[in-house]
Amino acid sequence: MSSYSVRSWVTIGLFGALWTVVEMTLGSYLHVIFPPQANTFLAGVVLGGLGVAVALTGRHFVPERGSVFLIGVVTALLKLLSPGGVRLGPSVAILVEGALMEAVLWLAWRPRRWAFVAGGALAVGWNLPHKFIMMRLLYGQGVLEVYTKMVQEGSRMLGLAPSAAWLILAILLLVYLIVGAIGGWGAWKLGGAVARRLGRRDLAASEVSR
Amino acid sequence: MSPWGYLLFTGWAALAAVLVEGGWLAGLALVEVACGLLWNRAGLRVLRQPHFWAFVLAAVAVGPFLIGEPDVTWGPLHLSRAGLLAGLEMAGRAFVLMLALSLGAASLSLSDVVAVFDRLGLRGLGFAVALALNLLGTLQEMATVVLQTLWLRGGTRRPVLALRLFLITTVANLLRYGDEAVNAAAVRAFDPHKRQSVPLPLRQADLWLLLLLAGCTGVLLAAHVV
Repeated sequence: MSSYSVRSWVTIGLFGALWTVVEMTLGSYLHVIFPPQANTFLAGVVLGGLGVAVALTGRHFVPERGSVFLIGVVTALLKLLSPGGVRLGPSVAILVEGALMEAVLWLAWRPRRWAFVAGGALAVGWNLPHKFIMMRLLYGQGVLEVYTKMVQEGSRMLGLAPSAAWLILAILLLVYLIVGAIGGWGAWKLGGAVARRLGRRDLAASEVSR
Repeated sequence: MSPWGYLLFTGWAALAAVLVEGGWLAGLALVEVACGLLWNRAGLRVLRQPHFWAFVLAAVAVGPFLIGEPDVTWGPLHLSRAGLLAGLEMAGRAFVLMLALSLGAASLSLSDVVAVFDRLGLRGLGFAVALALNLLGTLQEMATVVLQTLWLRGGTRRPVLALRLFLITTVANLLRYGDEAVNAAAVRAFDPHKRQSVPLPLRQADLWLLLLLAGCTGVLLAAHVV
């Protein structure tokens, strides 16, 4: 992080704050509007998609490696220390989303459109296993048995094969991935549009010139 | 107590919550509640939240039905005693883990977190977190102003264009705030690479806490061996 200037840290703080504002304002609305059952899925999709869009837009203006992860760290800390009470699950999800986006950008070496799209998809896709992993961490081993029994009993009650549960999960994952990809693609376009208007270096232009 | 003490307690309690089993979880919960009463009752506020109890007690509610083989019939219900015990243990683990983190987060202020980052050589990150927290209200206000301006200028007639303009304006304004923050930092000669000598010494209470936690760890280990 020695290459980070004051401007880099300021921009990281700004985009971290913007992600937090999205989480706090829109998150509150979603929790009020939707019932708890729909909430887990819908809130995850909407907030995840917007969150990755914000963080990846920030990458346009902080070209150093690790910046997207640090935006996630700032957001997670603000979420954890917010006066509304400790929200461990969302904070961990934000941290992991930041790490996943950063990993894809790191693999791509230089910022590319496909890396933004793939990073966004992977980050929002994390929201599906996140719930199960957090439950496993909080409740311990026993929750696995509960999941298995719930799938068996649920499929028996609905007259479906237990394998249908996997199909439902796959469809949900696909929705997450598509929304994340749209978020990443939107961040690429948005960052470029703002950079052009402010007369700053546009990543899309540098991608074409290579 | 210093931030190091709070961090130590949170880390210890979270680790113990994962490692201990059975009735020892109740003991750990008592230690956490006692510590909360001693140094920060705000951390215990989570115990008054209905969704916390709904989350914790969900395990007790589903355990007898979904874990183990039913061995007790209670009216129309077939319950499992092993499932009830397993559910209680799951609920206990969730309780102590969430309470530990709640106590830690309630005890640490943002300035503590920034000071800890400074001491760990992450001065820039502490600066970014503090800046973000100070700008939360401004950003909300800024986004509202942009949204209302677009609304008044007929943004609802062309929603896609309005959304595009909203996003571009919001990010552009954000970066303008960034320029002001960079200038303010430059005026104050802020250097993210320079180690600031913010004193964050250990206090006597930290030592007492360390002894208490060492004692608790010893008791847990001794019980495990026996």
